[in-house]
Amino acid sequence: MMARRVRGDRVGRRRVVALGVVAAAAWAAWYLDLRPGDAIPRGEHWVVLRDFFAEAVHPVLTATLRAELLRGLWNTVVFAASAMALALPLGIVLGFFASTAWWATDSGGDGARPTAARCVVCRLVFVAARSAIALFRSVHELLWAVLLLCALGNSPLSGVFAIAIPYGCTLGKVFAEVVDEVPREAAWALRGLGAAPLQVFCFGLLPRALADVTAYAFYRFECALRSAAVLGFFGFETIGYFLQQAFQTGSYGEAWTHLYALLALVGLFDWWSGALRRSFAR
Amino acid sequence: MTDRTAELQRLWRARSRNRFAAGSAVVMVVLLLAVAATSGFAIGGGGERLRNLRRFVTAVVPYPLQGDAPFDVRVAIDWGLRLLRDHGIDAAARTVAIAVLAIVLAQIIATLCTLPAARNLARSEPLTPGVAPSPWWRAAAWRALVSVTRAVLTLLRAIPEYVWAFLFLAMLGANPWPAILALALHNAGILGRLGAEVVENVDPAAPAALRALGASRRQIAAFAVVPQTVPRMLLYFFYRFETCIREATVLGMLGIASLGSLIDDARVARRYDEMVVWVSLGAVLVLVIDALSVWARGAARGR
Repeated sequence: MMARRVRGDRVGRRRVVALGVVAAAAWAAWYLDLRPGDAIPRGEHWVVLRDFFAEAVHPVLTATLRAELLRGLWNTVVFAASAMALALPLGIVLGFFASTAWWATDSGGDGARPTAARCVVCRLVFVAARSAIALFRSVHELLWAVLLLCALGNSPLSGVFAIAIPYGCTLGKVFAEVVDEVPREAAWALRGLGAAPLQVFCFGLLPRALADVTAYAFYRFECALRSAAVLGFFGFETIGYFLQQAFQTGSYGEAWTHLYALLALVGLFDWWSGALRRSFAR
Repeated sequence: MTDRTAELQRLWRARSRNRFAAGSAVVMVVLLLAVAATSGFAIGGGGERLRNLRRFVTAVVPYPLQGDAPFDVRVAIDWGLRLLRDHGIDAAARTVAIAVLAIVLAQIIATLCTLPAARNLARSEPLTPGVAPSPWWRAAAWRALVSVTRAVLTLLRAIPEYVWAFLFLAMLGANPWPAILALALHNAGILGRLGAEVVENVDPAAPAALRALGASRRQIAAFAVVPQTVPRMLLYFFYRFETCIREATVLGMLGIASLGSLIDDARVARRYDEMVVWVSLGAVLVLVIDALSVWARGAARGR
């Protein structure tokens, strides 16, 4: 009887969520005044569509284009790698302060509870770290790019910081969650031996979280490559820059060359991070 | 003492090693060093950057308070509320609407791709171990179906939303469809891949039982596989919905009416005060949707 009621309740809430999604979609279509006909290209748009896809099998590769292509690819990697080089330390520091594990009041039953004053300070640091993560993460990297371009002027550093800030916070959030889910026995044992919080964190918690943390960092690198490519639309000389130019001048063959290059680059890192995850799962 | 040392050495030798991960780490460090050595990003030019920043900070002050106007919180609030009433609320609603339609469309496409992309279902004997092997050409055909579906999903998610939207905008003109389709395709690629993994991890007992009773592949998929995947897929659905809200804001910068188009208009007109209001409104929207999505994910998990 009891079990049935619990089960019924769960299914009921799921149904509420599903109905909510359907209702939201209906509202959205009404609010946007969406006409299915607009999704079908006509007239000049149809010509663009036909010509663009006709060129898909004829990607161009001239000597000048090859130089552009290599510059775009290398710059994409440079922006992504520079941003990740900043985001990783930021994420590790934020992740340390935003995880509950290092200041946790659960002492593993050995009675070595931190003092009340220390708990308050730790709590404040924790809340500050969590708030910073939520705040800086809620602005998309391309919006950061727009803001930083306006604030700091045209310089590659604006683009690097634009990716590094939200990515660092996302890494911090995920690192904190991963560390918090690690089994705590080793940490308790270390604390029982009198280890400082940093020691507990580095030797009791981090080793068991390292695989997940590394896998996620590689996945973020792949995302950073995509973001760096799109930064090209904002004037940085990455793949997106050359893609936009080729498309707007109607050189669809060249546009396809850049698209294929982007696909190859992202595909390579997709495979790499996937292989890394599989190697950890083994 | 030596016993203990020997024991420690034995433990050390027996530690689990992952050559691939170590190699990857080395390659990544070399890559980062090469980038640092060759990129030559100028850290200099600080003076000009500082002047830029100072100009920006004065321009961010709400317009009625710029110059010599005395500081008055009420004026600033009035200014902000008028902005919200005139454009902000409508743009935020449009952003949400685009994200909702995109994620629903993405889930529909992904669900269609999930089943043929799952290796345990898309084969000659679905989810039934220990039966006689079928002719090689049937097995090969199923493997080809899986590979093709997975390749399409990879293609969909490898192209960034922004690039999809840029291409669709040229082909469909300025209406909400380019943004919706761009978000839907990219997220269909992601949800389809995640969904295939969920299907590959389902408990095979129920499907095997149905198979033993003579159920067809479609019946097994509909009644024994998909119901098992629903809670997991709902989690992924809301996780991607959060991302869609962020991206729907950004895609507006291409000229599709949403918060992003307001941001871009303000940037072009150099009204940085308005621009910061729109960016902040976008951030608030993301935080609200994140909270809503956390609640919905809890409900989907059955908590």
